[in-house]
Amino acid sequence: MATDPEDLDREALLERSRAPAFKPVKRVAPEQSPETPAEKAPDPDLGHDLIRKERYTSPEFMRLEWDRIWTKVWLLGGLESDIPEPGDYICTEIGKESVLIVRQKDGGVRAFYNVCLHRGNRLRPAGISSADSFKCQYHHWEYDLDGSFLRIPDLDTFPQGAPPCRGLSEIPCDTWGSFVWFSLNPGVEPLREFLDPMPQHLDPYNFHRMALTRDVTVEWDCNWKTSVDAFNESYHVQGIHPQLLYYLHDLDIQIDCYERHNRYLIPFGTVSPRVRKPPTIPDPIKVIMKGAGIDPADYDEPLAQIRRDVQKHKRRHGAGQGKDYSRLNDDQLTDDYHYLIFPNVTLNVHADDLMLFRQRPHPTDPNRMLYDVWTFELVPDGEEPPRRPRHQTFRHGDKSIGLVLDQDAQNLPGVQAGMNSDAFKGLWIGSQELRIRHFHKVIDDYVYGPGKKPPGAT
Amino acid sequence: MDLGLRGKKAIVTGATKGIGRAIVDLLAAEGCDVALCARSEDEVEAAVREVKAAGVEVVGGAVNVRNADEYKAWLEKAAEELGGCDIFVPNVSAGGGMDSEKNWWKNFEIDVLHTVRGCETLMPQLEKSGHGSIVIISSTNALETFYVPMAYNAMKAALITYAKQLSQFVGKRNVRVNSVCPGPIYFEGGAWEMIKSTNAKMYEATLRAMPNGRFGGPDEVARVVAFLASPAASIVSGANVVADNGFTKRVQY
Repeated sequence: MATDPEDLDREALLERSRAPAFKPVKRVAPEQSPETPAEKAPDPDLGHDLIRKERYTSPEFMRLEWDRIWTKVWLLGGLESDIPEPGDYICTEIGKESVLIVRQKDGGVRAFYNVCLHRGNRLRPAGISSADSFKCQYHHWEYDLDGSFLRIPDLDTFPQGAPPCRGLSEIPCDTWGSFVWFSLNPGVEPLREFLDPMPQHLDPYNFHRMALTRDVTVEWDCNWKTSVDAFNESYHVQGIHPQLLYYLHDLDIQIDCYERHNRYLIPFGTVSPRVRKPPTIPDPIKVIMKGAGIDPADYDEPLAQIRRDVQKHKRRHGAGQGKDYSRLNDDQLTDDYHYLIFPNVTLNVHADDLMLFRQRPHPTDPNRMLYDVWTFELVPDGEEPPRRPRHQTFRHGDKSIGLVLDQDAQNLPGVQAGMNSDAFKGLWIGSQELRIRHFHKVIDDYVYGPGKKPPGAT
Repeated sequence: MDLGLRGKKAIVTGATKGIGRAIVDLLAAEGCDVALCARSEDEVEAAVREVKAAGVEVVGGAVNVRNADEYKAWLEKAAEELGGCDIFVPNVSAGGGMDSEKNWWKNFEIDVLHTVRGCETLMPQLEKSGHGSIVIISSTNALETFYVPMAYNAMKAALITYAKQLSQFVGKRNVRVNSVCPGPIYFEGGAWEMIKSTNAKMYEATLRAMPNGRFGGPDEVARVVAFLASPAASIVSGANVVADNGFTKRVQY
């Protein structure tokens, strides 16, 4: 049995495993960025410990997460544009809870537990719709849009009268960035405070000018954090997305960790140093060029210049195409500004589109989750937005969600299964995966207290 | 078999990597003095340095063959520096693509016109040689349908017709002209290496079409080209030689 660590020549292993050297990609200087900060945040010192696997697999940790994260933080509920008129509502679920987010007559939004106070029945199924009032289908208890009791049939047959409350149990609700947010924590801090500094980073993209083009929920056989982790590092590109090596720079990544949220900046429209320079412009980069209005067949400059030229071209011709890029820096015109809004919202942010993932835990099983994909496209001024797509739900494998996400999705059940093995103790995380370490540090802050580590950890 | 290449002067375009480079390497190994060009100065410099190890004269130039004047001037200078030209292999291609009408202009100017301009510019030198030989690089894309109706395929077909006609036209001046149609050729830094990653399905389907289950290599094409270019092939002119590992399925009578 090869169990003696001394049997391994570690120097030889390192020599045959080094990351390729590369020339740094040219980035905008911080002062060249009008609004979204471009400067590198100092890397936090988060050590090199194993991230123990129990947090992905154990029902005990799942309960701790429910008590100390899901019921404490702000959560993404849906799109403001889905509830423009009074009575429009979003019914969304988190864990065992279901929430109604309702547009009020005064234009505001309020959120309530989707639970009838009579016998506990759900008032509405999950989804987006409109109502004049919320009437329980069981005994027709009826609530107004503001949650207050409207009618209780045969109230005179309840000797104790109506419940002592005003109506539905209300929870904090607010809007930011064209999204509605709610919290199961009545004492939660103001939304802006929780999101800081995300609004400063993301407002310049004008999400409210982007239209939803895909709305899909896929049931995945993995923990919700297995999914968050998968999008929090670019190290896996060489492993499962080989085609992206001809599209982006997977090694020259700027990682920035903030208080509870984090991001990385991935240069797009360039080729990874892991592959040789190809003889022609790779097809995926052609797509970027065409999007900017550059004809690849008419482009004679070296491959390395494409990213800059696309930026210049968009800057010059954006306004003429009805696209206002004035609040964005040049890198934002090509690159992936990739954010994690703690705990569960992953945003691939680009000048012309947004791909958002909301990762929700399964109500009872740590080995399962709900993966929501919302994609948005910038609607040029003067153009009609596309029709809102219908929401679709399916199980992983039933339908394709596009090559790159299929590659991620195919991989994750195996990761989850392997994490359940007795042979696996925890995640061995490298510096390319610093965002994963930061994400779990923030989880620890919530679960064990600020700055505290899990019990038993060194 | 002695190919009789020792001391011959050869000019190959687009020769810092892939098929062009393999042709230069083989001709140099057989004792030819060679001139090569490509667009990147760094890559040309590196190639010249490496090919010189064969102990022959090597001339290099960073040239955009789309620019007629620049290209012709370089050919003349290269022939002068080599002290003549016995062999010409126009190998540069704009590659495939269906982005716009511009692809047609690009393949026309780069694949077709660079070949025509090269043959015309070097013809006096090739004639003077007494063993002048032109090997035009076409493609199996010209012979059978290949995925999509790209300009590349049609322009590569034009080259075969041009090669045949030219062979008749310059035969009396002792210049032979042949063309070679390589099939899909895999090499590091080549199109198929990229396609393997960016379009795995197309790569696999192409591989399955190879009766021997593998892609061809640039060195295999280079051996065919070197033979046709050499005095050993003195009886071969106006031929189109398919070097495709059995990739094409047509019967060639």
